[in-house]
Formats: sequence, C-alpha cells, structure tokens
Amino acid sequence: MNQNSKKKLTEVFASIKTEADKRFKEIKGDDDQNILIGMATCGLASGAIEVKAAFEEAIAERKINAHIMPVGCLGHCYAEPLVLIEKPGFPPILYHNVTPGKARLLVKAFLEEGDPVFEHILGSMEENDIIPSVMEFQRFNQEKRIVMANSGLIDPEDIYHYIAKGGYSALVKALTLEPEKIINEIQESGLRGRGGAGFLTGKKWQLTRDVNEKDKFVICNADEGDPGAYMDRTLLESNPHQIIEGMAINAYAIGAEKAITYIRAEYPLAVKVTKKAIEQAKEIGLLGKGILGTDFNLDIVIFQGSGAFVCGEETALIQSIQGERGMPQPRPPYPSQRGLFGKPTIINNVKTFGSIPPILKKGAQWFRGVGTEKSPGTAIFSVVGNIVHAGLVEIPMGISLRSLIFDICGGIPEQKKFKAVQIGGPSGGCLPEHFLDTPIDFDSLTLAGAMMGSGGIVVMDEDTCMVDVARYFLDFTQKESCGKCTFCRIGTKHLLDILERIITGKGKEGDIELLERLSIDIKEGSLCGLGKTAPNPVLTTIRYFRDEYEAHIREKRCPAMMCRALTAYYIDLDRCARGCDACVGSCPTEAIFTTRDRKKGIDQTLCVKCGECMTSCPVEYDAVIKVSPPELAPKIERPEEG
Amino acid sequence: MIKLIVDNNEIEVEEGMTVLQACLDNEIYIPNLCYLKEMDNPPGSCRLCLVEIDGYNQPITSCTVKVEEGMVVRSNTEHIRKLQRTAFELLLSVHHVDCKNCPANRKCELQRIAKFLHFGLKLKRLEPLDREIKVEGDHPFLEYVPNRCVLCGRCVFVCKKKNGQAMLSFAKKGFDTVISFFGEDNSARVSCEECYACAEICPVGALLVKNSKRSAHQRLAKNNNSQRPRPSGRGLKKGNNSLAASIPTLPGGALKGGGK
Amino acid sequence: MNDTAEDEEDAMLKDITSMLTYFEKHRGNLIPILQSIQEKHQYLSPLALQMVARHLKVSSCDVYGVATFYNQFRFHPPGEHQIKACLGTACHVRGGDIILENFERKLDIKAGETTPDREFSIDRVACVGCCALAPVAIVDDTVYGHMAPSKVEGLILGFEIEKEREKRKKQSNESK
Repeated sequence: MNQNSKKKLTEVFASIKTEADKRFKEIKGDDDQNILIGMATCGLASGAIEVKAAFEEAIAERKINAHIMPVGCLGHCYAEPLVLIEKPGFPPILYHNVTPGKARLLVKAFLEEGDPVFEHILGSMEENDIIPSVMEFQRFNQEKRIVMANSGLIDPEDIYHYIAKGGYSALVKALTLEPEKIINEIQESGLRGRGGAGFLTGKKWQLTRDVNEKDKFVICNADEGDPGAYMDRTLLESNPHQIIEGMAINAYAIGAEKAITYIRAEYPLAVKVTKKAIEQAKEIGLLGKGILGTDFNLDIVIFQGSGAFVCGEETALIQSIQGERGMPQPRPPYPSQRGLFGKPTIINNVKTFGSIPPILKKGAQWFRGVGTEKSPGTAIFSVVGNIVHAGLVEIPMGISLRSLIFDICGGIPEQKKFKAVQIGGPSGGCLPEHFLDTPIDFDSLTLAGAMMGSGGIVVMDEDTCMVDVARYFLDFTQKESCGKCTFCRIGTKHLLDILERIITGKGKEGDIELLERLSIDIKEGSLCGLGKTAPNPVLTTIRYFRDEYEAHIREKRCPAMMCRALTAYYIDLDRCARGCDACVGSCPTEAIFTTRDRKKGIDQTLCVKCGECMTSCPVEYDAVIKVSPPELAPKIERPEEG
Repeated sequence: MIKLIVDNNEIEVEEGMTVLQACLDNEIYIPNLCYLKEMDNPPGSCRLCLVEIDGYNQPITSCTVKVEEGMVVRSNTEHIRKLQRTAFELLLSVHHVDCKNCPANRKCELQRIAKFLHFGLKLKRLEPLDREIKVEGDHPFLEYVPNRCVLCGRCVFVCKKKNGQAMLSFAKKGFDTVISFFGEDNSARVSCEECYACAEICPVGALLVKNSKRSAHQRLAKNNNSQRPRPSGRGLKKGNNSLAASIPTLPGGALKGGGK
Repeated sequence: MNDTAEDEEDAMLKDITSMLTYFEKHRGNLIPILQSIQEKHQYLSPLALQMVARHLKVSSCDVYGVATFYNQFRFHPPGEHQIKACLGTACHVRGGDIILENFERKLDIKAGETTPDREFSIDRVACVGCCALAPVAIVDDTVYGHMAPSKVEGLILGFEIEKEREKRKKQSNESK
C-alpha cells in the first residue's frame, strides 16, 4: 500500500472514530448515570426483561436522568440478572440476581438518595475505598480477558460502542500491511484453533493463501453443538464486532471476498445480533465494497445451521451450506485447499476470530506472554454442572483444573465431594480427582485422555453416576451420528445399548471388556472426528471408575444412587410424622399412600423415582430414604381400601 | 505408470488410481461395499477397505487414497483384519440374515466378505439390533428391504449417474438412515421399469424388482439380451399417476392415537 | 379432508409459490428455503418439499433426504404450545430427564409427538445454552429455569386456565 492510500485509510477511519467517541461520550459522559443490564440469553432467561422494565418505570416515575443500556454477558451466569450501575462519585458497581423489586429499590436508594445498598452488591469494578472490588474475588482476579474484554460492558447492537473502545483499529492496521506480514504475525503468535483440535491458525491461513484461486471463502464456525458449551453464542451476543473484525482481517490476509458466519438456528438472539452488526458495519463502510477507501471488498452473510451436531465438523458444515446432507467427507483434500464449492476455504471457530484483533493490535510477542509456550493465549470455558459459580470464564492457558474449579468457580455446592470433571463435551473425557493439577492446555488435556474441545466443562459431584454420564454422552453422539460410516452409525448404537443394559441392572460379565474393545475399534475406524472421539467418555470412565461399572454389573447397585432402575425410595416409619402430607402432594404419580397409623408408604410399582418426596419432606423429619440396590427398601403394604 | 508395494509384492498401475482399485486390478482382494470404480469421490463410508500405508499414522480407507510412486501398503496385517472384522460384525448386526430366502443368496457381497475374513454369519459378542423402520414412499416397480440394506449408497450413485437426478436418496440420519423413494410422481418413474440399475448394483438384495420372484440380476440379463429400446421422454403412464396419489406419508411426530 | 383444511393447504401453496420467487435457483439455497417455509408455516408438508424440488430443479427425494437429515425440520404441524425439554449435560446432571418425563406423563405423549387436540407438542433439545439455570424447559419462546416436577404441573395448568379463560371470554362475547 502506498503512502497516499495509507493516509486516506487513516483519515476515513479517524472520522468514524470521532463519531464513535462523540456518541459514546453522549451517554458515558462524566455526569451521566448509566444502568447496564446483561441481556444475553442467560440474562433474559433469568428475567432481565422484567428487570429492565422495572428500571425504566422507576426512572420515569422518579424523573431520574439515567441511561439504560442493554449489554451482553459478563459470564457470571450464576448471578444473572446482572446489573452494572455507573454513578458519578461512585465506582461502577455490579449488582447480582437483580429482581424487579431490587431494581426499584436501587433507583430510589442509590440513584436518588445515594445509598449504594450494600446488601445487594457483588462488587465494584474499580479499586476504591467504599466498596470491595470484584478483583478481590479469585473469579475476577485470575481471569484474563482478551476475547471477552468488552463482553457485558458495551451495547452489542451499537457498532460505535465497539469502535469507541478501540474496535476495528486492528483491521485498519491490517489493511496497511502486506497480507504475508499479517499471516507471519499470526504464525508467530502461536495461536491455535479454538474449535477443539488446536491446529495452528497461522499455518492454516498460509496454506489457503498459497492456493492460486480467485475465489476463496472465510467461514466462522458458530455451530456450537456441544451440550453444556455456550461461549460462542455468548460472544456473538455480547460483542459480535470483534468476531467480524477478525473475519475481515482473515479475509484480507488470504485474499477472500466472501465470508459466512454459520450459526445454529437454535441461537435466535445470536443470529439477530450478528445480522445487525453486519448491517451496521456495512453502513459505515467497514464491510462491503472498497472497505475504508481501499480496494478490499468483503461480504459477510449468515447461514443458519439446522440442528445437526455433526455440522460442527468442517467438511459436514461445508456440505450443509451447499444444500446437502451434512455428512463429513474424507480428508484430504482439506478445506484449506478444496472447500466450499470446491474453493479454498478457511474455517475457524468464533473464539479464534475473536483472538485475531487483539493479536494484531498488541503484537505476537504480547500474545505469547499469555498462557503457556505451546498453547499461548487464553481459553474460554463454560463451567457448569455441580458448581457454585457456573458461567463463562476466560483464563490464561496453563491454569490448573483445581484452581479453575475451586478458586475461580467456587467449588462444589452443598459441601459435596468432587468426583469428576468432564472436559471437551461428547468428544472429551471424564477426569477424576488426581488429575486436578493438570494444567489446562491443548496437549496436557489430550495426554490425560480428555481434550480441549470447544470448551465445555461439566463438574460432577459424588452423587453423579459415571456409568450414567458415559451413557448420556453416548446417547448424544449416537443420536447425532450422521449415519454415514459403519463404525459410528452402528458401533455407537451397540455401545449405547450395552451401557443401557448396565444401568438398568442387566449388565453381564464381559460387558466392560466388550465396551473397551468396541470403543478402540470405533476410534480407529470411524471416518470423521465425531466417531473417532465418540468413545472417549466410555473409555475414560472405564479407566478411572471401573469399580462403578463393576458394582452395576455384579451387585446391581449404583454407588452414586443415580440410576433409577437400581435405586428405590422408601419412607422410614420411625421418622415419618403422623398426619403430615407434604410428600403426598409432591408426588406426580400418586405413588404415596397413607398407612393405617396415618404414616406414609411408597408404592414401588408406581414410583418413578423423581425424588420430589425427598425434597418436600420437612427437614425435621427427613424420613425419605434412598437406597441401592432397590431390594434394600423395606416392603410396606398399601392398606386395603376402606 | 506407478510402482507401489502391496503386502510385499510390487505392482504397477496407472497414475491417478485409488489404492483400492490398484489392488483389485492386481488380484489383491480388499473387502469393500460402498466403492465403485466410476466414482470420482468415493464416500469411504463402509470402512471395510482399511489398509496401512507407510507415512499415515492410522489405518486409512484405500478407496480414498491415490497411488503414489514407492508407496508401501499392507492390507493383511492382524490389526487391519481386526478392524475389518469389527466393521463387518457391525454391519451384520443390523442385517437380517436369512440367506436361504434371500434373492441375493450366493451373489451376496456379505457372504463373500464373511468367507474372506473367516467370519461366520452368526453374531457372537454383539446382540442383533432391530431397526424399527417404516418405509415411506411406495415405488411401483421397486421394493426396499431396510433390514438387509447396508447403506453403501451404490444405488444412489448409479441412479444419479444414469438418470442425471437421483430418483432415490438417503433419508433421515444416523442409525435411522434409510434409502427413500420419496416424492417423484409415478410419471417420472416410468423410466425405472426400464432401468433397475439400482437393484442390479445392490450388493445385498435390499433393493428388489417388485412383483417378481426373479432377482434384478436375472431380469437385467434378460433385458440386456433383448436390448429393448428405452422409451423416448417420460411419457405418462396410464392409471395411478395423479400428484396426490404419489404423495407419500412422512415420518415422525405423528399424532398419537385417535381423538381422546 | 374437510373444506377448511383444503383451503388452508391452498393458501399455504400460494404463499410458498410466492416465497420461492425470492430465492435464486441455486442448490445452496435449499436449506434457507426450507427454513423460511417452516418459519412461516410451522412445518414442511410433502407438497412443499416437492415445490422446493421443482424450484431448484432437483429431485424431490433429494430434497426429502436433506430435510430429514436435520433436526430442525418438522413434517407435521406442531401443537399450539411447543414444549422443549433441555437435555444438555448440565440439565442431565440436574435431572433434566425427569422433567421431560413429567411433561410426557402429564400430557400423555412422548417427545416428538403432539397431543390429539393439537394443544401441546414436546421435543427434546440438546442444549439451549442456559446451563447455569439447569434444568431448563422452554415453552414457546420463554425459558423456564430451575425446573422441578411440581413446576411442570403448574406450567401446564397455567396454559389450561388461560385457555379456559379465553374460551369463556369468547362465549360471553358471543352471547352479548
């Protein structure tokens, strides 16, 4: 690029930036009061709409001058709806689990009267001497936000917010550089694909750039299908522009003019927000023809995935965009050489694209300074299951599982014991306690038998049955198998059937060995990554929790008392209070009857073992008892009618 | 010409050929079901033709790898045979074995592969799997037997190749995958009566010519002898050819029971 | 088939015909076309599939093969209220299958079915990404977190009461 066009480019962007700063200042000036409400899917599901309405009403009623700003997700799902209030004279304060009632209280007490209502505060976002800062929590302290830096702090539906926070400057920088230079920078950063396999991103780009073809494609893979993983959705809902910027840089670097964001149709909000973001970027000349006055053109369109997990696999994803059944194709050829419509195609994960702008802005060396040598940068996980502070975290690679689970996410609720952590979704594995000190990076996790995957982490406590967990994942992969290849189509069905018979007490000697042998062959023989990794949950649970399998098969007992065919509830007549009817009302199948002396019994033939009676039995009696095997439950006969 | 070594024997084949084809041409049998010589991009779905090739860290389907000079291929190691037997065993577990009443008896690929792998047609360690399948889309001339089908896809390929558009396709997914004749009105199917390429190519007798005790093979042999000309165009056949009559029922989600 | 059903079908066909004109005859448009038809008409009828096939100049069974591959597509009209029980990992660990079972038992249908009065249909979904609220159920477009069997009863009762109320309102309006 010559000096003249460079100058023009910077000028064009400077005027956009000025406009953005102006608009941002209008609402975020020094005297402005702002109410930021987390309104990504988690927030909405927890009642953010009602909270927003309550704030609006209260402000209008009290004639208070404050801006209400819907923002994306901060990642603290356990605390949703989450509200951040900025008031002059105070640090920005985070309020958790806000209800409409709390909202009205905050408007009156805090905005009107200046009392920050300590009892509802999660923490302040800045160091100060009035309110404890969130940085005192491990959760905030140990996180390192690169991709999620602006998530939950800006309005995702306003491009100027992102620009005011420094957005799109990486694209401007990129456009002044030779494409080779950009690819070099990405290669040097050591960034590895965040979709799971961890292939070097820069290398992939280079391969595609080297193909001599006019038409090339860039695809952002947001077909996030792992049950329990939702970071891609959150990123798109919270800050879509960072992803778009990353895609644009990628397209420029490899010489593509068309890009596709492939989003699951089950994510309507992410689709809506991304669509709007693309339109806005086009409107002010950051996408479309002649971007920022240069001769670089880029169109981004959205393709909605139709609910096939296998389409997260890149060759299947391509098939579905082409209007075919989403079945994986043998590789080679790799999409980087022959992809969508036969053209060279880059397919990267949302998080990978999100890492690109910061790398370009701050340099490869800076990025290498975060994380570990072989896995630089950060990892975003959704930590769910039996965990106190469920939600999204972005941490530097290399932190141990123990500190992620116990320090950052608050450990296991109700003082239960940790049993296992499942990493990497249906393709990953379950790791027991003695792996807790494993550092989180691509290679260490693979070595332990799990994998990084897309970043879903499910924490399980002592009440979780590991055989059932394996069955759960196999049930998922078996249903989501595309049916193309023999090993996956039929093999996973056999694995599932064997697991089903084990958890229903029909397991046979030799089943464990059969599971192992079949699993090994399926791993080796399957066509695509889905089949090749589908047996991982079975293999790891057998490896680390073999005794649980043996208990199911030999003693027909579920040690965690989770498998319903192998457990029973009964009511301890010595503890049951005469005349109390709490359990009767809670039972959905009318399995609970009254004995002659007005105590309660459970009709085992009607009981569906949902556990509602146990929950409803008043703590002072605590009379409902769960046992495994079911034969341990004493028989109590239902008295004859009349 | 390209030289490669398969199971310690040097063979010479044309460039651009798949390893599988090279072996088959040189009388080295590698079990296969979904592969046809005419395919540009073999699906690699039956997973029977796995071999070991130096330079690949895992067994790979020989139908998806092109021959290269000096390539070293092993098709008969214990490890490869183990994988092939498992793949075969899996296919067998969904195949309704009743050879004596099957029109494909003695021509069946599964019988051939069983013999080759020294694998009986009885399941030992796996339970047979029942697939509950309702076949949708009635076809006037063809019958589909899902519990014999190994989903190799040869029929879909030959139909597309011969007729430009496939008149049958894979439908549903995963374990429930079937071959479906959905939707064409019968006028379009007139040509089927003169074709039967799908039934002819079926390796296991899952696609049959309707109303005929003879297998497609026999029928085709007869057709070939008489060299009947194909009718020009897709003339409407008398009778049941209205659009409505040809609309098949669809799967899943049906209303439960009658009015309650 | 009665007259209104036929009228409905006619109207749907007309509408699909006009929708199709917005899409280029390009195979890559197949899934977007199916999606927009379903979005508007709730399901894909056999005739709709054939129309799409004709528009794109591919065979109907090809379109059928693609449509039946994807979980998103329905081939029968769904119930008035669509219940989706999430069976993602987090929901499973917290008893999502028990929630599903309660819906099934309460409505006397299985997942994937519609009640005979077409009021409710139940589906299982893999993960809706609200794992911190597990177990989760979605009814129509509302996400209900921290579900329990007793909440299932309440939810359905709520809809039934609502329907009853509307019926009465309608009756009283008519009698006026």
